[in-house]
Amino acid sequence: MMRRAAPFLACLGLLVIWQLASLALNSDSFPTALEAIRAIPTILGDKDSLVNFGASLRRMAIGFAVAVAVSMPLGLLMGRSRVVASFFNPLLMVVYPVPKAALMPIIMLWLGVGDLAKTLVIFLGVSLPVIYHSFEGAKAVEEKMLWSGAAMGLSAAQRMVRIVLPAALPEILTGCRTGLVLALITMITSEMIARQSGAGNILFNALDMGQYDTVFAMIIIVGAMGICLDALFERMRARLVRWSEPQFDIPLSFS
Amino acid sequence: MIEIDHVSQVFQTSARQDHLALSDISLTVADGAFVSILGPSGCGKSTLLYIVGGFVQPTSGAAKMKGQTIKGPGPDRGPVFQEFALFPWKSVLGNVMYGLRQQCMKYAEAEAQSRALIEMVGLKGFENFYPKELSGGMKQRVALARTLAYHPEVLLMDEPFGALDAHTRTRLQNDLLNIWERDRKTVLFVTHSVEEAVFLSDKVVMMTRSPGRIRQIVDIDLPRPRRRTELLLDPRYQQYVVAIERMFDDSGEDGLQP
Repeated sequence: MMRRAAPFLACLGLLVIWQLASLALNSDSFPTALEAIRAIPTILGDKDSLVNFGASLRRMAIGFAVAVAVSMPLGLLMGRSRVVASFFNPLLMVVYPVPKAALMPIIMLWLGVGDLAKTLVIFLGVSLPVIYHSFEGAKAVEEKMLWSGAAMGLSAAQRMVRIVLPAALPEILTGCRTGLVLALITMITSEMIARQSGAGNILFNALDMGQYDTVFAMIIIVGAMGICLDALFERMRARLVRWSEPQFDIPLSFS
Repeated sequence: MIEIDHVSQVFQTSARQDHLALSDISLTVADGAFVSILGPSGCGKSTLLYIVGGFVQPTSGAAKMKGQTIKGPGPDRGPVFQEFALFPWKSVLGNVMYGLRQQCMKYAEAEAQSRALIEMVGLKGFENFYPKELSGGMKQRVALARTLAYHPEVLLMDEPFGALDAHTRTRLQNDLLNIWERDRKTVLFVTHSVEEAVFLSDKVVMMTRSPGRIRQIVDIDLPRPRRRTELLLDPRYQQYVVAIERMFDDSGEDGLQP
């Protein structure tokens, strides 16, 4: 009971502190928590902003899905083949430390400010953690497990799909979870740089116009979106890799 | 019949030096024989097993199965590893069924055969457990059932009981003998325990370390079916164990234990 209520109490506490701090500071650019919360229904009730949210989520979904579809097989191949790994490793090492949003100007130059550019930034943001974790997961697959499969007659391709993939799945999903959060971050950032549509667009337009209650309301909405997506993903992940969860780690004493 | 014909294996060490792991091994294993490869750790006995399994290619020489040179793994040779190597995302039943489903057997039939095998290795009631929920001994029972399921002609056992405690180990040795004495598959069994080798085998292949060579082959002429309690009191069993241990001592090798 207490454990379930704890996160909500934490949120409530945060809002109370916010409310008190904003009352104490009494600044125009820092609305009270209540003001921000009151602005949420207005935003969500507005058709234009819903269209913007839809566009954001669509780009995020496409960017995330394409990134996972490309990066996961690549990472798995890198983990099992030295040639593939030594080819892609240097490339990734160059790309890894670059903030993907920093590439936005170049991407905009080539692809314009539309969906394609923004989706590409999301794709880049999601790709790296997924590649990295798939790579690590595939590398850690026990050789003897693959041998057991080979002895049963599984071809190299079958071993990849039917042994390496499931064995690395917990690690892959960890990467995807990080990727999901990065998708949200790159989504907002890309819309902040190329303001044309999306949740980031609403947020920064409101900032320009000095509608601070909307700014803070948007932060709450985007934050809540992140929490919900992460929680949903975590549920799916826990279901998929139930076999590897630590609560299952209670060996029976029986020879 | 398995023929190992002048097999040598050279590994590159991390210092990029050649290390001769196996030197000129020739050995014939008759159909239906239980043959143990006994030697100190680092003598290349597991490597020899992997070569027969087709998991490792020998540097020179060849391993043959029924006259055909072994080029890769195949369902005619079923491995059982010390590390169990179970598929952790599959239940006990799923693991045991895996090989049969790979051979495109119908689900119901594969399930029926697998359930029978699971019962045979003493795990009835654990069909839906995941490997993580099982003890080491139970895992190795599953691994054995998983390999027996696809009916390999030869069992390749790589120190299968090496990771188990003494009590569990004895129980599994007994059960393995019971199972083996029923269908008499060819077994190649790698171990560093003299007692285990003598207890289980028809033939014990003694190996020396660095480079791994065959030192001597001892025929174990003890009656079957073997019962552990009877055997331990049998002077012939004791003589085999002592004689083999002496031979290792004389060779100046630092014992059999790893």
